[in-house]
Amino acid sequence: MENEKQLSESESMMVIQRMIATAKNELVDESFHFIFWGWLVFAASIGNYLLWKIGFEQPYLVWLLMPLGGIVSFIYGRRQHKQEPVKTYVDEILKYVLIAFGVSLGIVLVFQSKLGINTYPMVMTVYAVQLFVWGGALRFRPLIMGGIINWALCIAAFFVAFDIQLFLLAAAALIGFAIPGHLLKSRFQKSQTVVAA
Amino acid sequence: MSNAFKELDPLLHSQLRLSVVSLLVGVKEAEFTFIKDKTGATSGNLSVQVSKLEEAGYIRVKKEFKNNYPCTTLMISQKGVRAFEEYVNNLKPYINVKK
Repeated sequence: MENEKQLSESESMMVIQRMIATAKNELVDESFHFIFWGWLVFAASIGNYLLWKIGFEQPYLVWLLMPLGGIVSFIYGRRQHKQEPVKTYVDEILKYVLIAFGVSLGIVLVFQSKLGINTYPMVMTVYAVQLFVWGGALRFRPLIMGGIINWALCIAAFFVAFDIQLFLLAAAALIGFAIPGHLLKSRFQKSQTVVAA
Repeated sequence: MSNAFKELDPLLHSQLRLSVVSLLVGVKEAEFTFIKDKTGATSGNLSVQVSKLEEAGYIRVKKEFKNNYPCTTLMISQKGVRAFEEYVNNLKPYINVKK
């Protein structure tokens, strides 16, 4: 039963290199949250605009989808985290970034009555931090670009009216979350195909 | 830096144990099944080698239940990291001579 295969020194080095590369390339499919939130915020922004245009009295009620989204996201994330057979240090850092993102976004949303028209630009800058850091940690350029674009849209949003801000927020969600999310999923699926081959 | 050949840690100088430690050094923790999958070892052989690494204090083993099934999780200890670093440093002179 016991295998004590002894190694030559060069074989040892090859084992180390191969195993470290294996662990490093162990990708987890992180795309769900980006796709889910990207499309949800996109739909809510456009929904808010359309409800406002047709004269609905409380068009902002569409944002009640967000707490529901939070519950779905939390349950999915918890389940996924439990099923992961390996936890990397990157996962650990990203967990703290995610908490920081949630707290910052929560503060912005709780104090939106004080922020007034500046609420959505602040939301976009919080999005940008999340996207930029995750993109860097996952070495995934579309997320980094999404972060940069969110910062640009944030600056633009300070100078436009509320209805235009809704379109900018929809664009921020689409470009920053949904599209990179789909690309991330595609990268993960390709990596699984390569592993299986 | 000295180029003297130092003895390689016999505990790490075995294919499977070195594979386990090399995998664990890059992650926070990994399940037994993940290590088994990546090393291609049998459960029995892996258990034996994991026990040896645990007895030496190189790794920590956590046993818990996950979805009602027993789940064993492995993680490298500080002692294990130091032993691995020392092993790699001691390995270098051998590799350089053979080049």
